[in-house]
Amino acid sequence: MTSTVMGEEVRIVEKEGVKHKNPIVVEGLPDVGLVGTIAASYIVERMGYKEIGYIESDLFPPVMVVHEGESKNPLRIYGDEGVVVVLSEVAIPVGAVYPLTEALADWVKEIDSKLVISMTGLPATNRIDIEKPEVFAVGNSEEALNELKDRQMELLEEGFIAGPYAVMLRECSKRKMSAISLLAQCFPVYPDPGAAASVIESLDKFLKLGIDVKELLEKGEEIKLKARDLMRQTALSAPKMQKGVEQDMPIMYR
Amino acid sequence: MGIERRIIRTTWRYDGCLEPLYEVEDKEDEILVTFDLPRVRKENVEINTTEDTIEVIARMSDAVCWERWSGIQKRISFQAFRKQIRLPELVDPEKVSASFKNGILRINLPKARKKVFVPIE
Repeated sequence: MTSTVMGEEVRIVEKEGVKHKNPIVVEGLPDVGLVGTIAASYIVERMGYKEIGYIESDLFPPVMVVHEGESKNPLRIYGDEGVVVVLSEVAIPVGAVYPLTEALADWVKEIDSKLVISMTGLPATNRIDIEKPEVFAVGNSEEALNELKDRQMELLEEGFIAGPYAVMLRECSKRKMSAISLLAQCFPVYPDPGAAASVIESLDKFLKLGIDVKELLEKGEEIKLKARDLMRQTALSAPKMQKGVEQDMPIMYR
Repeated sequence: MGIERRIIRTTWRYDGCLEPLYEVEDKEDEILVTFDLPRVRKENVEINTTEDTIEVIARMSDAVCWERWSGIQKRISFQAFRKQIRLPELVDPEKVSASFKNGILRINLPKARKKVFVPIE
């Protein structure tokens, strides 16, 4: 492993020999409905991406995850030359959001990423009546908005956004990098594989990998069972993330 | 909460029951409780209410088996969800209604206290 120190608080560590070719960086951190986490895990499994690094910080809980007898960092990076996927198996403490997104933005700039895409959910109170969740998009620049318009993506026109993905848009803006967020209508506090499937379909308009979500939908109930504990952790940190503001009306609404 | 409970904060039990995810919302005239019950069919859900509690027992259509996991280093299977919740206000158990769609159980519990119209003089 070679360590890339991106500041004092969060360290992004890449495996030796990893090459990047202007990758699209896809971020799926735990948030409402675990949409990003479920989608990111599915993409990694489906595409057979290799683990290429991890993220560590004293701001994260002192927790490691064990898979097949090997301890691993819960925040890991997977991918190939063209696509990088960032995911987490633990909830992100609110105090770590700014240092984490700043470190991630520094790193995606360093690897010369052409676009950063965050996958997340948009809580829908009537989700139970929605057969196929819609996906809305937010861009951080005119260039990013053009990327969305080119793909006929529906925009989240007005409102507030909160959480790691919202800060990621800002941090990328500060570094003059294009970033977008894809938000699928979801259950706020229940894992939502249906929303994850919708967000992957939208993401694939950028990645063009032909990711089939059939298996994700078929295994939805199994995924919901496995995701219960992470959903519980994530829901507990939601008020501190100011997630409630996403339902509010901005005073400068147009 | 005892020390052991704080360290071993499981959402499953050795009797084959999992604790479901749930949400309790105060909706002015009623308490709305929802449960996420994957692998459950409507006919296998049992709901019991009192004035201040609600209990849900839901049998899964297929048991879920996990192996080599955490403190359980052997095969363990779960057949049902079970949860009892203490309600934030007294409700009228006779007027409780429920619906089940796409694995989400929704229970409407009308509050026991009555609303009185106050005229403005």
